[in-house]
Amino acid sequence: MTGPAGDWPDEIDEAILDRLRDLHTRLDPPPADLTTRVLFAMALTDLDIEVARLRADQLAGSGARATERTRTISFEAASLSIMVTVVEEPDGRVRVDGWLAPPAPHRVELRMEPAARRSALVAQADEAGRFVLAAVPRGLAQLVVHVAAADGATTVVTPSLVL
Amino acid sequence: MPADATAGAPRPPADPARAERAARLAGCLERARAGEIGALEDVVRELNPLLWHVARAQGLDETQAADVVQTAWLELVRRLADIRSPQALSAWLVSTTKREAWQVRRRGRRTVQSDELAEVADDAPDLSERLVTDERDQVLWRHFQRLSQRCRELLRIVAMVERPDYTTVSEALGMPRGSIGPTRGRCLEKLRDLLRTDPQWSPR
Repeated sequence: MTGPAGDWPDEIDEAILDRLRDLHTRLDPPPADLTTRVLFAMALTDLDIEVARLRADQLAGSGARATERTRTISFEAASLSIMVTVVEEPDGRVRVDGWLAPPAPHRVELRMEPAARRSALVAQADEAGRFVLAAVPRGLAQLVVHVAAADGATTVVTPSLVL
Repeated sequence: MPADATAGAPRPPADPARAERAARLAGCLERARAGEIGALEDVVRELNPLLWHVARAQGLDETQAADVVQTAWLELVRRLADIRSPQALSAWLVSTTKREAWQVRRRGRRTVQSDELAEVADDAPDLSERLVTDERDQVLWRHFQRLSQRCRELLRIVAMVERPDYTTVSEALGMPRGSIGPTRGRCLEKLRDLLRTDPQWSPR
């Protein structure tokens, strides 16, 4: 019914594929904010990047005392692992405590969407790889770690996350 | 638009609409390579639904799928110099998304029993009577679900691909020209066989 390998499908195939496309589009649409998140994550000034993959994103302590709710997120890149805990603060903002492994005093940047009052918060990790970002507004954010190494600098970036 | 922007396209588009699209995407790529990442906005809007369904067809949940799609685009940022044509762009993004999705599933597998995996992979969206009122759509969906996982994954992605990108995307899915025709043909033929015996079905 279809021609040799590589030919376009025939008319009935096309009609079936069109219907399948329409059905999947209606039944399983991408999240409304997916394009926004992708564009935000890609809007980097440095194109020489290493991409850190999301490894885990867990909510803990979601008990009656909502103020103590903690979210733990970990990312992994070839040269660096990043783990952060996000704690809600009483004023609605969040505090981000982070660890870099292997530990090193890299500069850590939290990019935020333009709607936030500041476009980025910056912290310096200590020798143990720990860093703290306090009073972070909620919204779309992305971690950018400037890794200074003997064989040259690398920029490790995470996908965007909604804080 | 530089004259060489589409020079690497494996198949020159045959009609004006396709030529216009190819030229537009090539222009976006050229600007992005020059450092203007924002030029990819239209490309992201156009290709995100396809990449979403590539990730979902691999059995990822919505959060994982959204994350994998983001990762694929971020990987593109560092590979921009290697991508020479709109067709190559779609194919590269599809294969990267599929590989990333597969790795996420493989990690999930360690904590999931093997017989539960079939459930994870079988991630067909529920048919909502509210969303799908057309009887032909309901018939098609019912028979589509009877196909193998492999065929559903293939047809779901093929259905989302813009026609000019069809051949390169098929190759990116690990079905080179020699086998994509037969594989796609078999899946479509199976579906058409099922539909043909159903009196409620008509293609138009």
